[in-house]
Amino acid sequence: MKDLIKKLVEAFGPSGYEDQVRAIIQAEAAGKADEIRTDNLGNLIVLKKGSGGGERIMISAHMDEIGLMVSYIDKKGFARIGNIGGIALATLTGSRARFADGTIAVLYNEKDGWMGPGTLAECFIDTGATSPEDSPVKVGDVACIHRPFEELGGRLVSKAMDDRIGCAVALQALLDMAESPNDVYFVFSTQEEVGCRGAMVAAFGIEPEVAVAVDVTLTGDIPLAKPMSVELGKGPAVKVKDAGMLAHPGVKKWMVATAEKLALPYQLEVLTGGTTDAYTIQTSRDGIAAGCLSIPTRYVHSPSEMVDYNDVLNSVKLLVGMLSAPVSW
Amino acid sequence: MDTVALLRKLSQASGISGYEGEVRDIVRQAIEPFADEFRTDTLGNLIATRRGTEPVSTGHSIMLAAHMDEIGLIVKDIKDGFPRVTDVGGIDYRTLLGQEVIVHGQRDLPGVIGSRPPHVLSAADYEKPVPWDMLFIDTGLPQETVTQLVHIGDLVTLRREFLELSEGYVSGKTFDDRAGVASLAVCLELLASMKHSWDVYAVSTIQEETGLKGATVAAFGLNPDIGIAVDVGFGAQPGVSENESIKMNAGPALAIGPNVHPRMQARLSATADKFEIPLQKEVIPGGSGTDGWAIQVARSGIPTAVLSIPLRYMHTSVETMHIKDIERTGRLMALFISGLDDAFANELGLEGGKGAA
Repeated sequence: MKDLIKKLVEAFGPSGYEDQVRAIIQAEAAGKADEIRTDNLGNLIVLKKGSGGGERIMISAHMDEIGLMVSYIDKKGFARIGNIGGIALATLTGSRARFADGTIAVLYNEKDGWMGPGTLAECFIDTGATSPEDSPVKVGDVACIHRPFEELGGRLVSKAMDDRIGCAVALQALLDMAESPNDVYFVFSTQEEVGCRGAMVAAFGIEPEVAVAVDVTLTGDIPLAKPMSVELGKGPAVKVKDAGMLAHPGVKKWMVATAEKLALPYQLEVLTGGTTDAYTIQTSRDGIAAGCLSIPTRYVHSPSEMVDYNDVLNSVKLLVGMLSAPVSW
Repeated sequence: MDTVALLRKLSQASGISGYEGEVRDIVRQAIEPFADEFRTDTLGNLIATRRGTEPVSTGHSIMLAAHMDEIGLIVKDIKDGFPRVTDVGGIDYRTLLGQEVIVHGQRDLPGVIGSRPPHVLSAADYEKPVPWDMLFIDTGLPQETVTQLVHIGDLVTLRREFLELSEGYVSGKTFDDRAGVASLAVCLELLASMKHSWDVYAVSTIQEETGLKGATVAAFGLNPDIGIAVDVGFGAQPGVSENESIKMNAGPALAIGPNVHPRMQARLSATADKFEIPLQKEVIPGGSGTDGWAIQVARSGIPTAVLSIPLRYMHTSVETMHIKDIERTGRLMALFISGLDDAFANELGLEGGKGAA
């Protein structure tokens, strides 16, 4: 599964520009699903039909990552940028940006680096150009952070673990699933980082009875972290609450019961900042029972998001277990 | 209906956003005789339907909404046997120190929110409210037992006895918006002895405090012709200026602003005038922050009004109000509904009734 993860996290795909990620997932899912389509907002919807008598379940993992957009190019060829989603400002200085066509640029700031920028307006990118005319990028061009996938012991590090690791878990669950009574719609969603907008329309279109987002969550296991009980390596997290939504109590129970049945480690999660696709899915139409399977992740929204590989494998097992049996709570 | 008794029961029940079951049961029991059908939707809204009766149902419908959920606490970590919490909905954390709570663990556990003695605080700390990360709950139980009985994500409600003050004033937790729910019950009871030709969906909504979730999905599901949200408004009190507040014991306040359809506003005002029900005005130039804000933009848009029952000390456990304001709100809605006719439907440009959802 590591090859799949590497391929996904290194792909280019800021919100609204998820095409390269979608192409990878579509190729992997081809032949393993009953139906694959892309909707008007770019969501990739992969249907695995059940044997009948089950529920219509939507799984949502977002393809998009946070990124940057060029807003202005000055006389000397330096480009100014705006953010796509919640970029961690402090991590930009000295990083590199990568554009859809592979162009690489250096990120820096007016304060000469040492303390990082105070605002995004103080950041610029250097493409090596000396004037607007020879700039390889133009206003409106989109970049992701350039950072390769690495293995650190049992832990995996990269940009865009949020939420390609969720895409990898959902995709692997699709491949591993055997017989199931449920019709499962695996949605690889767009524009989560700018307001969970892909999942919003996918849920309206699919009208699922139950939905589970697969996304990353923060941890409380790094130096001076705020009180939060989630740790790397202690298993997938079952969301109870985040800043955007309360998980449906039934969905939470279903996830916990499945983990216990399969003797998988799990953690319960209360997150005070951030949310997931489940936030917009829950209030679609006349209401959908929605929850979230979270993969504990350190340094979220930085270029070095870290997950534990065993947590990833256990997340796949948990998801497969949930989808393969009749839904009950 | 004994409004005080109903409010007492509603107030003392636990029903944090997303977990409103106990309140739902109480509401259902209270309004059972006055509704034709009951339904609980996927997210937990309780929908009580009274079909229009006189002369015949027109197929037009009104949705009333008041939220059952309350703000509260949720366990996010447990350190050394002391649960640490964060809020569900916008609790005023400055009011938490020294409160009694109920921890809804494997069983309900009494607890208190402890604090450091003032004697050991630095002068700077003494001046500041205690931040979330420093708040903890003491159940009196040893660490091992706490770990067994309390899990991450368990809910914690404030424990507060309902208190009758003098001259019709009452005080307790969660009048926001159980007072609104009580006003729906008053309204339905009155309607049971009135004629009304429109269908009434009285919805006790869930998760208002965490983003108007219940009203959003209920309005979509029911697709009513018009809607009224009942919530609480800032009652006059020391420290809140007159232009930020409404008067106590002076009837509900009818919101004026973009959330309220002008013809709904006019019809409600006229109804209050006609039946001599005291009605105040409340200027809300932007988002009302109530279920009405969600109802208005459901589907292709729903003419909506917002009524506020005057309430002091909002989002604390000593919310205070006058019981008559609840009854006046219920009565105004009942008389408004009883007066709904084809002329009003035409005024709003409604086509034939949308029919039952």
